Formats: sequence, C-alpha cells, structure tokens
Amino acid sequence: MTAIPTTTASRRPRRIAGTPGQIALALAIAAFLLMFLVLPVATVIYVAFTEKGTSTFTLVNFYDFVRTELFMRSLWNSFYVSAMSVVWASVFALPLAYLTTRFVFRGAAIVQTLGFLPLIMPPFVGAVAMQLFFGRNGSINLLLDDWFGFKIDFMEGLNGVIFVQSVHYFPFILINLSAALRNVDRAMEEAAQNLGSSGFRLFRRIVFPLAMPGYLAGASLVFVKVFDDLATPLLLNVKDMLAPQAYLRVTSIGIADPMGYVISVVLIIASVLAMWLSARALKGRDYATTQRGGGGLAKRVMTPMEAVFGYGIVILILALVLAPHLGLLLLSFATIWSYSPLPDAFTTAHYARVFGESSVYIKNTLIYATIAGGIDVVLGVAIAYLVLRTKLVGREWLDWMATAALAIPGVVLGIGYLRTFYGVTLPDGTPLAALWITIVLALAIRRLPYALRACYAALQQISVSLEEAAENLGATKARTVRRIVVPLMAGGILAGFVTSFSTAAVELSATLMLVQSNSDAPLAYGLYVFMQSAAGRGPGAALGVVAVILVAACTFLSHLIIERSQKAKGMGH
Amino acid sequence: MLNRRTALAASLGLSLSASFMTIALAQAPAGKVTVVTSFSKDVTDPIKKAFEKAVPGLTLEVQNRNTNAGVKYVEETKANNQVDLFWASAPDAFEVLKGKKLLTAYKPKATGIPDKIGSYPINDPAGFYFGFAASGYGIMWNDRYAKANKLPEPKEWQDLAKPVFYDHVAIAAPSRSGTTHLTIETILQGEGWDKGWRTIKEMAGNFRSINERSFGVPEQVNSGQVGVGVVIDFFAFSAQASGFPVKFVYPSVTTVVPANVGIIANPPNKAAAEAFIEFLLSPTGQEVLLEPGIRRLPVNPAVYAKAGADYPNPFTDPRFQKMIGFDVDKSEGRTAVVDTLFDQLISFQLDALKGVNKVLHEVDAALAKKPNDKAKALAEEARVLLAAMPVTEAQAASAELRGAFTGGKEKGARQAEVEAQWASFARDNYAKAKTKAEEALKAAK
Amino acid sequence: MNATVSLTTPAVAVDIEGVNLSYGTNHVLKNVNLAIKPGEFFAFLGPSGCGKTTLLRLIAGFNHADTGEVRIGSKPITDLPPWKRDVGMVFQSYALWPHMTVRRNVAFGLEERGVKRAEVERRVEAALGLVGLAHLAERRPSQLSGGQQQRVAVARTVAVEPKVLLLDEPLSNLDAKMRVQVRRELRDLQQRLGLTTIFVTHDQEEANTICDRIAVMNDGIVQQVGTPMELYERPANLFVAGFLGTANILGGKLTGSGGTRVFEIEGGTRVPVPADAQVPEGAKLVFRPQHASLGDAGPAGDGILALPCTVANREFLGASVRYGVRIGTTEVAVDVPFQSGSGLFEVRSSATLRLSPHALLWLAA
Repeated sequence: MTAIPTTTASRRPRRIAGTPGQIALALAIAAFLLMFLVLPVATVIYVAFTEKGTSTFTLVNFYDFVRTELFMRSLWNSFYVSAMSVVWASVFALPLAYLTTRFVFRGAAIVQTLGFLPLIMPPFVGAVAMQLFFGRNGSINLLLDDWFGFKIDFMEGLNGVIFVQSVHYFPFILINLSAALRNVDRAMEEAAQNLGSSGFRLFRRIVFPLAMPGYLAGASLVFVKVFDDLATPLLLNVKDMLAPQAYLRVTSIGIADPMGYVISVVLIIASVLAMWLSARALKGRDYATTQRGGGGLAKRVMTPMEAVFGYGIVILILALVLAPHLGLLLLSFATIWSYSPLPDAFTTAHYARVFGESSVYIKNTLIYATIAGGIDVVLGVAIAYLVLRTKLVGREWLDWMATAALAIPGVVLGIGYLRTFYGVTLPDGTPLAALWITIVLALAIRRLPYALRACYAALQQISVSLEEAAENLGATKARTVRRIVVPLMAGGILAGFVTSFSTAAVELSATLMLVQSNSDAPLAYGLYVFMQSAAGRGPGAALGVVAVILVAACTFLSHLIIERSQKAKGMGH
Repeated sequence: MLNRRTALAASLGLSLSASFMTIALAQAPAGKVTVVTSFSKDVTDPIKKAFEKAVPGLTLEVQNRNTNAGVKYVEETKANNQVDLFWASAPDAFEVLKGKKLLTAYKPKATGIPDKIGSYPINDPAGFYFGFAASGYGIMWNDRYAKANKLPEPKEWQDLAKPVFYDHVAIAAPSRSGTTHLTIETILQGEGWDKGWRTIKEMAGNFRSINERSFGVPEQVNSGQVGVGVVIDFFAFSAQASGFPVKFVYPSVTTVVPANVGIIANPPNKAAAEAFIEFLLSPTGQEVLLEPGIRRLPVNPAVYAKAGADYPNPFTDPRFQKMIGFDVDKSEGRTAVVDTLFDQLISFQLDALKGVNKVLHEVDAALAKKPNDKAKALAEEARVLLAAMPVTEAQAASAELRGAFTGGKEKGARQAEVEAQWASFARDNYAKAKTKAEEALKAAK
Repeated sequence: MNATVSLTTPAVAVDIEGVNLSYGTNHVLKNVNLAIKPGEFFAFLGPSGCGKTTLLRLIAGFNHADTGEVRIGSKPITDLPPWKRDVGMVFQSYALWPHMTVRRNVAFGLEERGVKRAEVERRVEAALGLVGLAHLAERRPSQLSGGQQQRVAVARTVAVEPKVLLLDEPLSNLDAKMRVQVRRELRDLQQRLGLTTIFVTHDQEEANTICDRIAVMNDGIVQQVGTPMELYERPANLFVAGFLGTANILGGKLTGSGGTRVFEIEGGTRVPVPADAQVPEGAKLVFRPQHASLGDAGPAGDGILALPCTVANREFLGASVRYGVRIGTTEVAVDVPFQSGSGLFEVRSSATLRLSPHALLWLAA
C-alpha cells in the first residue's frame, strides 16, 4: 500500500541526450519508418507538388484545392462527420467502459469482446448487412413502414455516415478508455466520494478526467479514422468528403490528376494535426496517478436498481452496435433476401462454398495479422518510451511519422510499395514486393498508429518513480524497460496488439494492391473476390462470419490473458 | 512429353486449325500462367477448371483486382513484370494499356469467330486484345420493389426519367465503372451529344444513388434498397440464376460490346498466355460462358447451338441487329472528358439536380390536371437550363481539353481548373433552373 | 483566526458496535466495539494487516460490515453511501487529483455540496490558510513537495467541515523530520477545530505523541483501548505490551494459590506473586527495561527480586545504557541511567538483576 507521490521528477530534464542504446533505437526506428512509410508514400504523393506535365516544384495544386468549392465542401463535411462521430462513439463507449471496469459486472470480458466486434466488420459485407437492417428498405424501415407508415433515414447522407462510423469505430474509445479506467487509482475516486461526490458528477469531474489520456487516445483515433476513411462514405454513396475524393481521383483510370495526391497530403496534415492537438491537450499535466505495484482494490458492487439500469444500457448499446453482425450472420445463411424484413429461406450452402478455400485465407490472415500486430507493439512501446521518457532531439518526429500512417490511404501505400520494392529483386529474380512479407509490412505500417496510441497512453499513466526505483536498485535502462515498464504496460500493450491484429485481419485497401497469388492472400482478399459477383452476397457473408469469429476468438483470448495477468500481479480487481 | 501433347491435341479437338497445333506442339507451354482480372470467382473458377483440364501442365493463377487497380498494378510493376494476361470487360482499360505500351500484339489462331458482334468489332484491329464474350447494357429492376412502389416496367432509357421513377434509380459512376462508361457513351453516340446528355441528366434527376463500384448497383437492386439499376446484362442474368426477384431489359438504344483478354508486354510465360487465349476462343472455352453463374454471350455463333432457346443470341436476335454502331475511337478519345463531365455535372451536384427535377415533376402533375402554357414554357426553360453543357462535342474531343486530363507536356488548363469551371457552370444553371421551375409550379397551380 | 472559527463544527461521537467483516473466508474484523468521544483524537494502531485501515474505510463507507453498526453523533450511517456520510478522509496516497489545481482540489467538496461560489472561494482560502498553503493555490499537485501535498489533502478534507476526520497513515510518505513537524501540525489543527479525528497508523510513536486514546488492533480484534499511558503502564495482554514500547517477557509456570502463589521462570528461578496481582491462564512474566536494575552479585533488599544473570551485550544510548542480559536461556533488556564516572558492566561478566515486585506484570497472549 505504498503510494508514489507524483513529484516533480518527470519535469526535471533528466538527460540532455540519450544513452547510446536509446540513440541507436531511435535511429533504427527512424530508418524503418523512412524505408517502409515515408519513402514509398513520397514516391506517390510528390506529384501533388509538381506542375502539370513537368516535374517542377509548385504549390499551385494546393491553390486549386482551396479554390474548388467541391473540395472545400468536402473538407468541411469531413470535419463535421468526424467530430459528430467522436461524439456518438463516446456515447456508445463511455457506459460500456465505465460499467465493465469500475463495477463488479458479470460478463465484463464478454461485453469488452462484443464491444470490440464492430471494429472487425469485414469490408463490403458489413455495409451490405447494415443496409439490410437500417437501409431505406432494410428490415427496420420495412417494418416501421408497415406498422406506422413512416421510415427513418438512418443511412442517408452525412448522418448515415456518422451513424455507421460511430458504430464502427467506437471500440477505439472503448478499448483505450477501459485500459485507462483500469489504471485510475481508486483512492482518487474514493476521495471524491468522501467529499460528497457520486454518480455521474463523480464520473464527469474525477474519473473521466483522470482517464483522459486513454479517452483522448481513442477519440483522436476515431476522429482521424473517420476523417481518413473512404470505404463507408463510398458505400453509402456519399462522395463529398475528402477521403472518398482522394480515393476516387487516385484510382480513376487514365487520369493523371494531381488533386488526388493533394487531398492525400491534406489528409495527412489534418491527421497529424488532430493527434498533435490531443497530445497538446494533455501537456503539462501529470497523469501518472497509479499506485501500480500496490494491492488492487475491490470493484464496486451495484445496487439492484443500478444493476437493472446498467445491464439495460449495456444490452441496448450492444444490440445497436452488433446489429450489423447479426445482419451478416443472417445473410450468410440466407437463400434470397430481397425487399423483406427477413430472408426468404435459410441454407448452409454458402458455408459449403467457402469452406474449401477459407483455410488458406485463415492461415495467411493469422500469420500476417500476428506478425503485423507484433511489429506494431514493439515499435509502439519503443516510440512511446523514446518520446515520453527520453529527451532525444526530434523524438516527437517518430511519433508524428508513425501517426501520419493513419492518414495515408491504403491504396497510396500499396502503389508506393509496388513502386519502391518491385524493382528490387531477390537473387532468383522474384521482386521483393511479390513476397508475402511485403503485405505484412504494409499492414504493420497501416496499423502502427493504433498500437502506438495504446502504448503511449499506458506509459503516460505509469509514474516515473517506479522506473527510478528500479534504476536506483541497479537495473540498467534496458533492463528497467524489460522488467518494470513493459510488465506495467502489459494491459495497454495487449490492447494495442489486439487492435492492430484485428483491424489488420480485415484490412483490404493496401492488401489488394500487394496480393500476388491466391495462396498468399488473406481473408479480406478472399472476401473481396467473393464480393465481385452479382449472384448474391451469401458466400461473402459466410466468409465474413468466419473472419469475425476468428478475430473475436483471438480478442476474447487476449482479454482473458489481460484479466489473468492483472490478477496474478495483484493489479486486478 | 508425348502424353501431354496427345492430351492437348485431343482436348482442343479438331476445331483448332492445324497451324495452331504445330505451334502448340512446338512450344508445349508448361508451368504457370498469371492473369490479372476484374472478373468474379463465378466466372474465373469454371474457366480455370476447364482450362487446366484442357491444357494439362498449365496452372492458371488468378489475381483478382478491379479494372482500375489492375491497370495501375500492371503499370506500376512493368519494370519487373510477372503477369502474363489482362482479362476484363471494359475495352477502354485495354486502350489505356495499349496506349502505355503495356500489351503485346498477338494473332489468335482460333476460327469461327466473326469480325463484329452487332456493329462492334470483336477484336482490337491492331491485334493487342481480343473479345471472347459479349455483353449488352440495359435496365434491371427488383420485382418486389416495383410492386410495392407501383413502378411500371421500364423499357427505354427515357422511361427512367419519368416522375414515377423519382428516387428509385441507381447507376455506377462512369468514372468508376468501365461498363457504365460504355452505357453513357452508347447513349451519347446513339442520341447525339446534346440530346444524349439531356436524356442522361433527366434520368439522373431520378437517381437514388451513384455507386462507386459496378457491383454496388446489382447489389442494391437485388436487396431491394433501390428499385431500378442501369447495369450490364450478366449482372441481371446471374442474379436471376441465383433466384433474386429481378428482371432485365435491353433498351433500343444500346449496344453489345465484347469483354476482352490481352497479353501483357514482356510476359514471363508467353507460350502459356497464348494457350490461354486460344482456349478462351475455342469452342470448349466458349461453351463455359453458358454456365448459369457466368451467362455471357459467346463470340462464336456456333456455340449458341448448345445454349437454351431463351438464351439471347446477338448473332440472330433481331433486337441486337437494330442496335447502334459504337465508335470505339470516338469513345476512347473523350473518355476522361465524358467521365469528368458526369462527375462534375451530375455526381457532385446530384442534390441540386434532383431538387429541380422534383419540382419539374410536380409541375408536370399540375399541368396534367390543368394545362397552362406559361407554366409549360417556364418548365421547358428550366429543362433547357438543366440540359445545358459547358462544352460542345467538338470541344470534348479536342486535344487541348484532353491535355488537361492526361498530364501531358503541353501547356494548358489544369484538370482542377477545368473541373472548377464546370462545377460552377452546373451550380449556376441548376440554381437558375430551380427558380424557373418554381415559377412554373406557381403558375401551374 | 477567523478562518479557524468558520471551519469549526460541533464535535460528535463515533460509535462502532459489533462490527464483523469477512472477505470470503478471511475474517478481517472480528466483533469490533469502539466508542470514540466527541472531539477526541483517536488512533487505530496495529501492525499491517491488522484490519485498522479496513475499519477506517468502513467508517468512510468504502467497506461494508457483515454485521454491526456505525453511528456518528448517535445517527446510524451503516446504510449511507460514502458521499452522504459527511466524514472527511485523508488518503494515504493523498489522492490529489492531478488534473486540478490545488485550489480546485480544495474547492471540490464544497462545489459538490452546492455551496455558493463566493462562499466556496472564501472557505478554500480559509482552508488553505489553515495549512499555510494559500500562496500555492494555483499550482498543480505534481508541482508540490510531499509535505505540501499532504497539507493540501488535509485542507481539501477539512474545507467541507466534516463531522469526523479520518486520517489513513497520513505521515507514512514523509521523511522523518517532516513527520515530526507535520504530526504536530495535525495535532494543533485538530485542537483548533475540535474535530473528532481517527488516525490510522502502525507507528506507536506517532500514536503516542498526538492521540488522546488509542485502540490497539491485531488480527482483526481490538486488543485494548486506552490513553497512551494506560496502554503502556497496564497493557491488557502480551501483544499490547510488546507492541507499545519494549517489554521483557519471561515464560514460566504458576504454582500455589492465594497469597502463596509463586511464578517459576523457565530455568528454575522462583518469583513470589503479590496477592493482589491478576495472573491469567498461561500468563508470562513481563517487565519494562527501565524498571530493572543491574548490580553486583549479593543479597536482595527487602522484597526486591534478585536474579543472577550474564551480560550479553551493551548499547550506549546517551541518557542510559541498555544491557542485554541472559537469565537462563532468555535474554532481557535492562536500561540503566548513565551517570558520568559510574562504572559499567563488561560483556560476559556476571551480575544480578534486581526488580521491584510492583513493576511486574503477568500477561497472557
């Protein structure tokens, strides 16, 4: 029960430069990011800075961007949709996170896992399933029309995008906020209760602000993801947003238009800016509030009234956010589902169809996503450590660089990889880009920001004095990281891994460019192939269900591991 | 070796010319043939199976990418090309590849394939790509949806402009879907530049959605999210084959165009690539197209003998004979301009366009009850404003305008400038049209 | 001193009756009964794991008793949630909220009570003035030293004028010098506020120096309640005797009865037991080091007990010399006042330990 006073240690300049090991680490990460992120992307987007037909440097394209009404409208729409999505995602995530982390809540691990599922909505089929439920002639509207004679435009225009995006991305807030809430010292909460605070005020004034690093990590991810996401608006036929504009232009055939790349640059700048602002908001505040290493305290028990209310809210939210998955499940068993609340009949034929082929996709997906997730947490921990715990010059640049990956459209990265690595051949003449490891690297780069934010938030909450204690007892920096920092960050690291892993498992845009043969293809590619058919979505949905179950099982496993390791260390509750 | 040759000869049968057999025997292709295609598994799986059976020793490696991504991919990897064939519907994509010197010329040995289907040449005259199956464009609709919303059965493009179809029609953006681009181009060529655009814009005033993927349209029609879709015929046929309650019609202004295959420049396995083309054009390969999941129109007229009686036959069916000729060069020359016009005047201004159209539909309804000349004249003024185009047909084909889209060396307007001009042209005209239409409505009531 | 006056509330009593608490099979509090008087500075003293913090948190409402009742000012509070109890608690870790300035931390409880804005500011100033930190109001907790943080935690708690003040090991995070200073401040503050205060500590010196009365706890049981002097002079059992100050404990056997009882120490020395002495079952002989003296071998004086022993070690403490001497196999401590010029016993030399019978205690576990 020893507490660590949050003294001034963290704001004292600890070192002018880093140890040789830290410098080497920083250089290695910088080299990796330059090689696999900056260079490939630069080969593609330099076009944004060149004059038409020549390679002269110019900013006239940005002038065009600002002058074009469509782009400015898109920019505004993107901001609006992203901000509103953060609001709604928070509405979904806050109750789930709070109830499952600070109370004795039966099925907390299941809620956490189910609440995570929306993130692994497979491409294409997810939107199809949502349309079947919430679309203009989806189940709900057909029934509403039948019974009451009106329809609700869930899926129309910008509001439709906000709805789908907040359902899709709220797990980012859920995961990061839950990790942060687990780390909030209960004495902080008790002190407030002791002074007369309770219920929502207690949450708003004390608990939530203390979990702010985690919340901001999640919220900024949601903002940037929605800002940069092109699939959802396009599937809802909303084109006047920035990311869809960039995608449409980059991939349109036969057009050598720099505007697509100009928009990509704008997206990258906006994303980095959002991340910078969220970091800025936390600056000058010490959030290392934990009593980590001490004994855990019991979670609160709900009164019967609270329990009814709590479970009611959780079930309501889960029902809403999991509706797409239910739709997907129905679709995978449906024969024909057309203009009716439910399918005409059910069949297992779609599963039979995908069964033979899915095993190779599953194997590839597991291998790729695991390696990519692994690379991400290693880089994430390293970058977070360098940024938060050293005074190396320019260390923030590692963070900005890695974060910028969030904003780079997958297709730009894919083309960049082909351009950069296809010319590089192995001794037997195979291009480097043709190896499956290229797909893994692309996935790792694309998902690095997720893991990085989680690791960053986890490290932010650990008091420096715990490390100083270790160093004081004779541990070197490296050993301190390994024996103290990493174990204490375990929850955040696992959260980061799970996010990277599961989103990498359903990533498509970059993969599509890089897959060279069916035997190297992951699940998302298989889904894409099955979706290229007008003969119904059954097989695609079946494969989608397989993907969701696969990733969900892995996620659930990780949650169990988190719980267990927390308990074993006495940090659990 | 003897076994393989015998099997090859036997399976290809006597329909193949003797000269091809000599070449095939001399080169004996083996190994892997890699093809980049936009075709779905429904199409590629049966063909792969039949091909590997017909030519033992060869395996077909299918890389599935949409047409645009496929073209980009081939372009980006040309330095160390690993792909043998490009295989897709839209002839435009092949024109782009050809223009970038990414295709190899070849002369197929297969016989029995005519020069033209309808009035469209089956093969690239320069010999860089070859049609292997034909498709026509038309209108697909969901029967349940149509009944529930009391929609009549559409027959012509103009039907889709009628008030009853307001907010019920879906299309893919021509800039995103090679097949839709051909549909738009067909209407433009069939009705003429100005009249064609008027038809298209009047239809567009009824659009529910403009999809980014070709597959989005049959998807929405199948599931009943949208009632009517502008699609390529086999989308509707394969949906019907799966049991969806959808119907399809070829309007009289349409065309049949071939889906193509071509050899990539500097292919790793040239002999195998040639073998694949020969297989596709052989009777065996052509017959595979008749399978319910594929339902494409073979380019070998003899194969239709094996098809059911209700299978559309473009070589004998009089409907197809009436279809218009299609000028590929004209289409290719203005592809980017037509697509960008569609995007700037329709896709990105859809709300404004629909707003005017809705009022015009109300005017029509009011006029039907109580004729009013002033209102009629105002409505026509509004329609003219809607239909107005910022460029003429001649300008659209001009080298100057094309230069803005190709990023060529020549000095000229940048694409972004041209687009901004067109967008403000459309915005202004639609705003004016809205005022006129509202005046007309006031007068009519 | 206006500030002090405005923060004073009438002192109340705290009664704990028949409280039992278990975590699963772990019986943490066993039938605890305590009556804490209004305005008293009361300590829960015991080794870690004795249940003292659990009991404190139970009063604050963070733990719930299986049976029994807690009353504050004769009002039962057992069913009240923590935020309705009006007991102020200073946490061991201080639990200052890092996202708020010192001022906002202190204002928090007042704001929660819906106190008017101007009044909040006035009372915050008063509370900070009370602990002498008014000049640091705009700092964040992480910019304060440990002692300052502790004082902010106290100010935050007293600002709401709680009925009872609970202090959970408030000095444990301070260095030794600070600890002495802060404990005086705490005592001073408590005196000025006249607030019923409960103080949890494992340090007997802390408890002895500032508390009116102490409940010594061990293993979930209140061993004894009393003033520091009572506990020292008349410990109820071996645990209390050993926990407060140094106690020499000699095992043995009681024989005889009435006025002729004799306690036979292991090793054979027989000690007559005064007629009025209470000797519980299984008792041991207990005496404090300063109640014994050492002398050369020789006859004992009147009624004085003389035990032959060997000097095992010697520590010079300044005012006294502490000898460790062996009686049979047991080593006991003897404190002899130091006077310059007087001779010292050498290690390994023989001596006689002399004890007045009145200084002897017979205590059981």
